[in-house]
Amino acid sequence: MNADDRALARQAACQALLREARAIEAAHGITPAGMDRMRQLVIGLAQQGDTLFPDADFAPPQAYGRNHLLDDTTDAQFALYLTVTLPGKESTPHDHGIWCVNAGLSGSELQRFYRRTDDGSRPGFGTVEEIDRAVVSSGTAIAMANHDIHATLTTGDRPSRSLALYGYALNRFPEVTFFLPEFGTVRTLPSRRPLVRA
Amino acid sequence: MKFAVTLGNVGRTIECRADQTILSAAVGAGIDYPYACASGNCATCISDLKAGDVDLLPYGDGALSAQLRSQGKTLACRARPRSDVEIVWLGRPRA
Repeated sequence: MNADDRALARQAACQALLREARAIEAAHGITPAGMDRMRQLVIGLAQQGDTLFPDADFAPPQAYGRNHLLDDTTDAQFALYLTVTLPGKESTPHDHGIWCVNAGLSGSELQRFYRRTDDGSRPGFGTVEEIDRAVVSSGTAIAMANHDIHATLTTGDRPSRSLALYGYALNRFPEVTFFLPEFGTVRTLPSRRPLVRA
Repeated sequence: MKFAVTLGNVGRTIECRADQTILSAAVGAGIDYPYACASGNCATCISDLKAGDVDLLPYGDGALSAQLRSQGKTLACRARPRSDVEIVWLGRPRA
């Protein structure tokens, strides 16, 4: 398949995935059963691997992490990205407010999951504890519900590449709340809405 | 090894270990440095490096472009001093 044919095939596959994701949400909502279906859906596309998502089609990060938008719905309620991160790239525990599925293409990313342990009564302060962890690599995926808290770390000695399906486009996230164990603090990043389309 | 980090916004100089980020040292010193993700993804702590050298822990393209870095911008949450440093944050502290 040449690059043009691959781009068309990729676009069709991503659009089909978004249609199916919308149907799953309509039928099952953001429930454990619905999220498991979403997870299987994204794993299925990730299994296309280099057939649709070869390294050559996606520029590496200038720094350590880059999100390539593959496709989104016109209302930006669903968005699919190919994410490339280099070893050492990390995020602190955060709640990005909206569900997501992350399925590995290559490399590995450690996902840690947390629960908040304080009552939120002291503005700007908060604590979390780790409750689970998983590694996202080729053939595996994680699914998170709205307001789940997670942290990521790219592990190993090569880039991690994965497909990430979100319940909003990244620039439409309601807000992102970060928990900083080092400081015992909580910080909220306001939404970057509204989305402006060209 | 420790370095002196001068925070232009508040006119204070603090100590920062070579293995510590400037943000960590500042928050530990009770300074209300603007930050959110503290892991190089959101750019809330983006700052002007007025003097001195730092190295940067991994960060995302969206937080600090190569162009901004070449203009002397840095991320306090990722920056570890390699000399005495003068820095000015560009965001606003928490309301």
